[in-house]
Amino acid sequence: MKKAFLLFFSGLLAFAACQDPVNPEIPSKDADLAGEAMDVSGLSGFNKLFVLNEGQMGSNNASLDMLRLSDGNYITGVFKKMNPQEAAGLGDVGNDIAVAGDEVWIAVNNSGIVEVLSAKDETEIAAIQVPMPRCLAFDDKYAYVTSWNGAVAVYGPDWSVDAEKSKNPKGAVYRIDRSTKQVAGSVEVGYQPEGLAVYNGKLYVANSGGISSSLPPAYSYDNTVSIIDLASFSVSKTLEVEINIQKVWSDGTGNIYVNTFGNYYSVHSGLWCIKADDSVAKVSDYAAYTAIGGNTVYCFGNENEFSYSEPANWKAWKCRNGVKEEWNIQLGDIAPYGLTALPDGSIIIADAGDFFNPGKVSLFSNGVMKWTVPAGVCPAHFAIW
Amino acid sequence: MITVSWSLCAQEADTLLASRVSATRDAPVTRAAEEAPLQGGQPLVADAVRRFTGVQLKDYGGAGGLKTVNVRGLGSEHVGVFIDGLLVDNAQNMQVDLGRFSTENFASVALYNGQKSRRLQTAKEYANGAALYLEPVRPERDAWRISVRGGSFLTGSAALQRHKVWKRLRLSAGAEALYSGGRYPYPYFDTTLFRENSDIRSLRLESRLEGELAGGEWNLALYAYGSERGFPGPVIRRATGFPFSAERQADQDAFLQGGWRSGTGCIYSAAVRFKLADSYTHYNAHAEKNPMAMPYDLRFRQQSAYLSVAQSLALGSRWSLDLATDAQRNVLHADRTYSVEPRRTTLTSVLAGRYTAERFRAAAHILWQGAWDAGACRGAWMPSASLHWEPLEWLELEAYARRSCRLPSFNDLYYIAIGNVNLRPEYAGQVGMDLRMHTKHLSLRVSPYYNQVADKILALPTASQFRWSMLNIGLVDITGVDSRLEATWAIGDLNLGGTLRYSFQRALDHSDPGKQTYGLQIPYAPEHSGSAHVRAEWKVWSLEWETSVTGPRWSATSTSADYYLPAWSVSDLSLGKGFGHGLSALLRVNNIFGARYQIVKGYPMPGTSFSLTLTFKV
Repeated sequence: MKKAFLLFFSGLLAFAACQDPVNPEIPSKDADLAGEAMDVSGLSGFNKLFVLNEGQMGSNNASLDMLRLSDGNYITGVFKKMNPQEAAGLGDVGNDIAVAGDEVWIAVNNSGIVEVLSAKDETEIAAIQVPMPRCLAFDDKYAYVTSWNGAVAVYGPDWSVDAEKSKNPKGAVYRIDRSTKQVAGSVEVGYQPEGLAVYNGKLYVANSGGISSSLPPAYSYDNTVSIIDLASFSVSKTLEVEINIQKVWSDGTGNIYVNTFGNYYSVHSGLWCIKADDSVAKVSDYAAYTAIGGNTVYCFGNENEFSYSEPANWKAWKCRNGVKEEWNIQLGDIAPYGLTALPDGSIIIADAGDFFNPGKVSLFSNGVMKWTVPAGVCPAHFAIW
Repeated sequence: MITVSWSLCAQEADTLLASRVSATRDAPVTRAAEEAPLQGGQPLVADAVRRFTGVQLKDYGGAGGLKTVNVRGLGSEHVGVFIDGLLVDNAQNMQVDLGRFSTENFASVALYNGQKSRRLQTAKEYANGAALYLEPVRPERDAWRISVRGGSFLTGSAALQRHKVWKRLRLSAGAEALYSGGRYPYPYFDTTLFRENSDIRSLRLESRLEGELAGGEWNLALYAYGSERGFPGPVIRRATGFPFSAERQADQDAFLQGGWRSGTGCIYSAAVRFKLADSYTHYNAHAEKNPMAMPYDLRFRQQSAYLSVAQSLALGSRWSLDLATDAQRNVLHADRTYSVEPRRTTLTSVLAGRYTAERFRAAAHILWQGAWDAGACRGAWMPSASLHWEPLEWLELEAYARRSCRLPSFNDLYYIAIGNVNLRPEYAGQVGMDLRMHTKHLSLRVSPYYNQVADKILALPTASQFRWSMLNIGLVDITGVDSRLEATWAIGDLNLGGTLRYSFQRALDHSDPGKQTYGLQIPYAPEHSGSAHVRAEWKVWSLEWETSVTGPRWSATSTSADYYLPAWSVSDLSLGKGFGHGLSALLRVNNIFGARYQIVKGYPMPGTSFSLTLTFKV
């Protein structure tokens, strides 16, 4: 009944659209793309939700999906469909996606490319070379990209580098001019930097040490957040938090949240809060997947995170103003691999399944699942336009 | 009915009848599904094996590319490779690279799908889902053999072999050196690139002594293999100026094996065999040459010691009862890549009973294997039964049913971040039939089968051939038919032979009815595959043509176009000529039509290549 009503209503809308020749909207180049029609009633505050599927490393199958709010279509493989000239597709391992203005930026990690697309029709604007790009953040003028291979000045034109240093190079943050799409400098940070966030003229960078942990001589994770002063583009402070820092979120009111992953056997994952005076306090243990929506950080933690054999035991919670709060969400058989909060407070959760075959994306409203749709391989990262 | 006397040794051992009885009794109960001579044709054992029915060769391309085989939907971990009856094992990843075995020192290779059951086998021979047997060359007279090969992509090899025969001792010793530049062109989306960092150099040494001792036979063999190679990496989108891969790997393998086997003319017979193996691997991602690489520099050393005692009782002329027990110790030394230092002690014991008459043979086996790893013991029972019946002169029927398992590898169990110490073994239940008919010129084999793999773990390529992502897709049902039609004809000096092979295989994922992969074909398993092979020999000339076809496959358990690997067909041609005085030449053209294809997604195979081999025998 509801469906029939919707159908009728959307038909009416289409009819109304045809009746209005005075202000014809220029059809977007991606208007012909159709996917699976989802129920988007109740969703508002955005045009498109972009879903980045990481793909499997070495398989060159990173892909971009989108949920178009105007007609509720969930469309897979959008990059390939809109950019046939890029015969190799999006590339190998999509690691982060973010929207800046009317542009979608994607860090394609194992391809060494930061892809910039038009958010209107997903056509390519630029493909920028950055070695091992990880995550993205923006201010008004620049995009900032964490890179596992920092110390770019050491590389010659053929990318040769001193063998000793390359054993475990520190990572870097690359600065890319948003208007010219050219790299405009880089700054060395800690080992294997991951997430980053801009707040109040400063850039907070998570240093994971994910590779350092398996390299001699120290075999240890990094435990620092590098704070970069954006005016001088140099590291102004290095804060110690906890080992294996993966994500940084800013709630826009002075709280900087840091998501640490622990060491998988004795140090738990967790969420920490850096206050305006750079004091660090732990919010809670157990934070494997986190996302920020407004001033709220949403977290999924696996209470069996030290066990390689027991099934995951997912606990959901959230955090506001540095304080842990209850969060009721019924995951059912969904195993989260990524999440995002939509403007109206609905939650989108990605399930990577077996990490090899296509995964799925689900919409949760008021803690209850509304629908699930097949995505690409390892859906994990989201951006809202 | 028991006619042979119960003295320790059969009194009739010297009579023709008894020797025939003994030969019948000592023959394997079921026959090999496929058999191929190795010398003088293809340079690698993998080239000969890939045409076998039911075999899917996984090939990453080039002389240095990893080559493993899956048989009838069973992963390569289920496929035992035996040299002289002793298992070539790899506890680290359970993969045996067939690209490392040259045809120079092996006389033949045989594939068994059902359980090979022969007196005085080792217990390990009963414990694999499928088995490839490599038979070493047995010297018959004093001889030298020198062969030199050169070909496309800067490939060259030279081999020397010496055979020496004394009264009670025979020696074969050989050496082979290989270099391949491996820089072959391939289509990169809409342009053409060359495979880089795809070179290999290797040296192989082997010697084998055999003789008679105390009424039995003994042998002792030493194999050594060293190689240094590059891994070209998967073809992906990559920023310009960055290589796909700068990964290199050096290997040094050596093993000493041998044994003694008593004559089987007596009531009681026994065989004792041993093997000591050491294998060293050094893998370096060379991050200094490739800023996109994870800066890994890993060293591994695997060592194993193996002892097998097999005993057999001949109960009359037709019955025999075997008890074989193997003990093995595997150790892996590695720097910090494993959560523990992997060690394993395996005990395998089998009780096998056989009935062998002239036209009817049957066998039943019960095997127990226990593996003690750090923190866990995994025990498994593996029963099997097989029979062979020749109701008519031109008709043979075989059938088998069995259950086998493969243990989780050290990588599955302990590799840091991906290892799972609580993995269960992977089970394979198999039933199958062979129907063989033959006339003077024609022979036909039709073999339907059904395999079920429970807790199946699939090894699939990740960023590097060296690192695997293990995928346990639970339950797989595999139904298939292998068929082969062979024809031979001789007209005067002209010998003609032809073989047609066709395999049908449906390997469906039945793990979880709730998953979207349910009921779909598993990755890399083609539904249809086949080949046509013709050979003509006339006086000193020989001509061979082979076309093989593999149907479409998917690189994931999905029918999405993103994972589709199209069907491919390659044709190979070879022309040989003998010049007298022991000199012969062989010209080969592989992939004559330059077909562009990938067996493993992201790893393009070479186009047309040539090679010329000169062999001198004296």
